Amino acid sequence: MTGTDSHRGRRIVVAFVLMLGFAVVIFRLFTLQVLQAAELTVKAERQHRKAVTVEGERGTIYDRHGKVLAINVDVPSVFGVPSSLENPSGVARDLARVLHVRADEIEKKLKQERSFVWIARKLDPEQGRRLEGMSLEGIGTVMEGRRFYPKGPLLSHVLGFAGMDGQGLEGIERRYEPYLRGEKQIVVLQRDALGRTVFPKGLDEQGPAAGHSVMLTIDEVIQYMAEKELEEAVTATGAKGGVVVVMEPRTGAILAMAVNPRFDPNAVRAISADRWRNRALTDAYEPGSTMKVFVAAAALEEKVMTPGTLVYVENGQMVVANTVIHDHEKAGWMTFAQVIQRSSNIGSVKTAMALGEDRVYRYLRAFGFGERTEIDLPGEGAGLVKEPQDWGSRSLSSIAIGQEIGVSAVQLATALSAVANGGWLMKPYIVSEVRDAKGRVVMQAGPQVRRRPVSPETALTLTGILEGVVAHGTGSKAAVPGYRVAGKTGTAQKIDPQTGAYSASLFVGSFVGFVPAEDPRMAIVVVIDEPQTEAWGGVVAAPVFQRIAEQALPYLGVSPHQPIKLAMNATGGVLQRP
Amino acid sequence: MIDRVNEGRGLDSFERMFLAVIVAILSIGVLSIYSVTYAQQGGRVPLYAKQLIWILMGGAAFVAMLVFDYHKISRLSYLLYAIVLVLLVVVLVAGKTSRGAQRWIPIGPFAFQPSEFAKLVLILVLASYYANAPRHGWLQRVVLPGLIMMPGLLLILKQPDLGSGLSFLAIYAAMLLVVGMRSKALGVLLLFSLMLFPFAWEAVWGSLHHYQRDRIMTFVDPAHDPGGKGYHGLQSRIAIGSGELLGKGLYGGTQSQLKFLPEGHTDFVFAVFAEEWGFLGVLVLLALFLGLMMLSLEIAMKAKDVLGALLAAGVIAMIGFCVAVNIGMTAGMLPIVGIPLPLMSYGGSATVSIMAALGLLLNIKRRRLTLFY
Repeated sequence: MTGTDSHRGRRIVVAFVLMLGFAVVIFRLFTLQVLQAAELTVKAERQHRKAVTVEGERGTIYDRHGKVLAINVDVPSVFGVPSSLENPSGVARDLARVLHVRADEIEKKLKQERSFVWIARKLDPEQGRRLEGMSLEGIGTVMEGRRFYPKGPLLSHVLGFAGMDGQGLEGIERRYEPYLRGEKQIVVLQRDALGRTVFPKGLDEQGPAAGHSVMLTIDEVIQYMAEKELEEAVTATGAKGGVVVVMEPRTGAILAMAVNPRFDPNAVRAISADRWRNRALTDAYEPGSTMKVFVAAAALEEKVMTPGTLVYVENGQMVVANTVIHDHEKAGWMTFAQVIQRSSNIGSVKTAMALGEDRVYRYLRAFGFGERTEIDLPGEGAGLVKEPQDWGSRSLSSIAIGQEIGVSAVQLATALSAVANGGWLMKPYIVSEVRDAKGRVVMQAGPQVRRRPVSPETALTLTGILEGVVAHGTGSKAAVPGYRVAGKTGTAQKIDPQTGAYSASLFVGSFVGFVPAEDPRMAIVVVIDEPQTEAWGGVVAAPVFQRIAEQALPYLGVSPHQPIKLAMNATGGVLQRP
Repeated sequence: MIDRVNEGRGLDSFERMFLAVIVAILSIGVLSIYSVTYAQQGGRVPLYAKQLIWILMGGAAFVAMLVFDYHKISRLSYLLYAIVLVLLVVVLVAGKTSRGAQRWIPIGPFAFQPSEFAKLVLILVLASYYANAPRHGWLQRVVLPGLIMMPGLLLILKQPDLGSGLSFLAIYAAMLLVVGMRSKALGVLLLFSLMLFPFAWEAVWGSLHHYQRDRIMTFVDPAHDPGGKGYHGLQSRIAIGSGELLGKGLYGGTQSQLKFLPEGHTDFVFAVFAEEWGFLGVLVLLALFLGLMMLSLEIAMKAKDVLGALLAAGVIAMIGFCVAVNIGMTAGMLPIVGIPLPLMSYGGSATVSIMAALGLLLNIKRRRLTLFY
């Protein structure tokens, strides 16, 4: 045995052992990276991947002049990484001090077996700054878009509001959700070992496109007037609430839609769902005498009546189907125009009888009662108009004076606009335009005629009669000096929920009217629900109409072109306007 | 006292190959460190830049170990060993504690880890012990060198630094093998070990820290507690495995970039590389390490004397053991004992001492030629 032999032998052995070692390692790595690769990749992805829907910023809502009504602002949200917390109760105490919530609730969240929990979302920027200043271990903040309504409660029932994840829940926010919502992008985010979210490299920096902006037909200024006057009237009369709808008669565009009591959509969580309801279109009420307008329209169109037709009003009492119908003033004969202007129940019942059930029903349906107006807002009710075969012996006379029928304020405003605009029943609308993030028009809405319930001649004649209501009838408090106002008062007894019969103390006072009568720019419906001080629509609702019209007409640039006349005001004094 | 023989002669192809492999592995190491730490904020010097500084210092150590005759270096070995022992005592008294272990001596902004240099010095000491006189009988061959090693080993285990301690044992065992044991002595040693095993187990196990026991225990079944003790091993295997055949690309390693993989720039740098470059990249890297080992073996085999062969064997054992244990633990084949990957893991002391050891190897290779020419 030579030295070189043993040398070579040892060398071979060592090299063999070395190669064997590397072969074992390579086999192991082959197992991991090739054989088990799929399984381990899934494990890796499960750890670091989180598919989230990233959304572009929600679109802005503007009024007709581009004033911002709803917008997105970035506010901080706080999250915790329970797995990295060593002292959850201490951290919870610190958080509770800033967030003003119970420490044990936060502690419970922080003790969950999860890598990520929301602690509080969409906080005030100030709270976020304080939390960041504390730099708590395992606690982080991220910016999220929160919906902000800069005008507070203004138009809240129309705008609605968006939820925590930016989803529209009510109103425009809900109805125009598909437009307002930012473009959705499923993005696979990466999460690091601390649970922080990391955007994958190469993600388009711009992110998904922002949502479309929505421009309303609402005029912020008129809306403000309507809400202010409604609020004052509700407070002054001790009413439960009220509704005002202002419509452009020729187009059906909604200029203002006020509901009282109001709420602040910025703090919607503290408010019951009952307050969110846009009662201008969800709730039907028995309109009372305002219905007489449409019975009159039918009678004029069918030539059953002319303004001068004399109607015997039975000295204030008439028995129909074993029920006594009263007028609030005793009279013998009245012209048909006076029947409307002085709101004679007996005269209206006689008019309806002259028309007959079928024609009354047909005209009410033609004016859009009993069907949705298809306004572009969610939750609209159809109201209630019974079919003639379901009518009882008293139904015709009840309907003639606005009972046994349920209508919404929007239906009333739309039907009234048909009288104002020469007979066209329009489809009311509240969004005029939708633009995408780059400003291109995506959707445009304009006037849409639904049908024509009455002729221009009938509308004109009826307008003249309704002008008389304000000039020398029950609606004198709606008079706006310098302008010709057409309108009608309404006072309806409410059904007492306890007895099921008409209540002697619960009323709905309303006024419907349009102005200027010869070239109407606004049709306004005012409904005051359960006023305590006075019941009469002419007293509680007509002044609201008057004050809104008085401020809105000059704002709209409608100059008083009537020669100024001395007008009697409610207190019998003399008002003079330049 | 510079050896004139070395001067005036360029690098031959073997030496160029040897250097090329070293530079290649170092580059891969810096790249991986850069990839996993570049996103870290902080105004301090970035880790990859610091590693480049360590490599420059390592290069100086490499040249220093190359230019002096290794016989002269070995004459200083006992002195160096004494210095290292003193430093190891200093570490225990005044060292910096990090993650439950007291391993570092702070020097200004840096921290110096004597246990890394202790390995190289142990090689020098054992090599000069065996080379200076004929050693017969198991007492002289096995027990005495074991006693020489013991103070260093105990001081290192006291820190505790299990990885360096195991490296010590590996170096000792490898050099013992090179010297060659007569079968009788081997038999006695084995019998002795078997008899002592229960006591040794108790002594060793009892002396281990909790985290060390946990690491060994969870090696048995790392998947049963992913959030706890087996976390490192499991994350490392996920990182490697999810790299698949072709890897996720440079900077694309999700597990390492997103810090699921702990210690990505130090002990688990191999997992970072494997995640980014996949199985194919791993094959290239392993080929480089295999090449380094083969070239080193070549040097050991052709050493002109016993001292050179012993030194080379020690260096191979040190580097080979670290590579094997590091990749083994990273790939989930061995318990996690905290051994850095030579030439790749971030760390000044380890980089400098490994490069010094490689300089020593090249020294041995070049002296061999002087015999003949």
